[in-house]
This record gives sequence, structure tokens and C-alpha cells, in this order.
Amino acid sequence: MTRARALKSPRRSARLGALPLTSMIDVVFLLLIFFLVTANFAQDEHKLPATLQTEGGGVRSSDLQPQIVQIRLQGNEPIFVIGEVAVRDRQSLEALLKNLPKEPGIAIKSDPDVPISAIAAALQAARNAGFQKRSYVPSDGT
Amino acid sequence: MISVDLTSMIDVVFQLIIFFMFTSQFGELRRTEIDLPHQPGDEAEVRHEPAMIIDLTNDGTYLVESAQTSLIEIERLARAGVLGQDASDPFDVLIRPDRHASAVHLDRLLLRLSNTGVQRWKLATVNPGGGS
Repeated sequence: MTRARALKSPRRSARLGALPLTSMIDVVFLLLIFFLVTANFAQDEHKLPATLQTEGGGVRSSDLQPQIVQIRLQGNEPIFVIGEVAVRDRQSLEALLKNLPKEPGIAIKSDPDVPISAIAAALQAARNAGFQKRSYVPSDGT
Repeated sequence: MISVDLTSMIDVVFQLIIFFMFTSQFGELRRTEIDLPHQPGDEAEVRHEPAMIIDLTNDGTYLVESAQTSLIEIERLARAGVLGQDASDPFDVLIRPDRHASAVHLDRLLLRLSNTGVQRWKLATVNPGGGS
């Protein structure tokens, strides 16, 4: 008799049946939908820090003058110019910058119509090449 | 009446809730969706919330807290931030530009910021590939 009662377990099923599960499941599903909707699936953002330097300012006369990377457009493609040398992509710029002395730092300037992705590429190349002092010089349009 | 065994379903649902609770990033919900430059960034950069976040859209619109903001207003906000900074917590600006936007828009913004005394800024990037 005891065995038969255990197999049926009427007390257990009665207890479970008495639990008000409907409202709990409602709440749980609402929570699930909230987290599904608000979850941020966007890619993690990174940062490229730089100092801000204006034309003709920010560097004392006693400081070493930083080397300058000028970003220009050739056709529709940005090119990176250092002195007489021009390169087309970040990897080439990085290889070029690795050969330069790091103490003076590097300054990046760009023409007005250059896409910002090229500025990011130049800052990234300078960072990867080991430059601690990286500055960007905004053009005043003159 | 057919009885449905809810135990395993509730287990799964609770697991999902716990997963989403841990992985949600509520701090960045207010950020506008922008096609950022694709670069790995600086891993050494400490992860802390910058004092001011400025979004720059493809057409040269500046957004602060997702609201369109003029350069004059940005300059006023930045000046107040610089005046309120201290040595332990310098005022820093994060710029989130659309990667296709022209440099002229970034230059105009940075010139305004330099007028206020901002000396350091950060460019937001994403690393779609995951490598460096």
C-alpha cells in the first residue's frame, strides 16, 4: 500500500498543483523578454588616445619637434605622407614609423576631405609602432 | 487534462535570465549606433567612463547624450568640465565618429575643444576581426 502510494505520489502532485505557477511564469517571461530586448549585442568599443595640438602651439621651442604624418587624398584613397615618402595602408605606415626615433613623438594632420577612418588608421599605426607621444593637429581650414 | 512538466522549462528560462543579467551592459545603452572606425585600439587604455562623449555622424552632426548639439554648446559644456576637473581626474573627451565622416568635422570639433583647454581626447573604434 505504501509502495502504491509512493508510485502515484498523490500528495506531491497535489502540492505542485496547488502552487500558483501562472503568475510566476508570467513574471519570469517578462524578465526574459526585458533582458533579450535590452541586451547589448554591439561590439565592444576600443579607444585610441591622443593629445590635442593646435597649429603653431602646444610645443615649446626647447622641445624636440615631432615628426609629422600628413594624410591626403589621392583619387578617392587616403595616403600617408612622411617627408618625401608616401604609403597607402596602415601596415606600411606602421613599418615606416618603426624606423623613426620615438622621443620626439608623432603629430598627425589631415586634409579636410579625408575620411576619419584614415585618421584612426594613422593613430593606430603610431601606437603600434611604439610612439608614446601621439598628437593630432586639427586644421583650421586656412 | 494534460499536465505539463514545467520544471525543466523554468530551469532553462532562469538560466537565460541569469545569462542576460550578467552580459547586459546598461552603461552603454544611451550611446547612439555609429559606424566607428575599424581599428583594434589601445589595449592599455584603462576602461573608465569618459567625462564627455561626443558622437559625430556621417553628415557632420554632433550628438551629446544622443541629442543634436551645436559646437557653441559643446564648447560651453567642455569649458565647464575643464573648470571642474582636478589633477586626479582630468577632464577627458571621447569622440565616436562615423568612419566615413570627413576630417573637417572632426577638426572643427577639436579646435573648439582646444579653445576650452582640453588637451587629451580619445577616438572610439571597434575591432570587428577581434585580432590586432
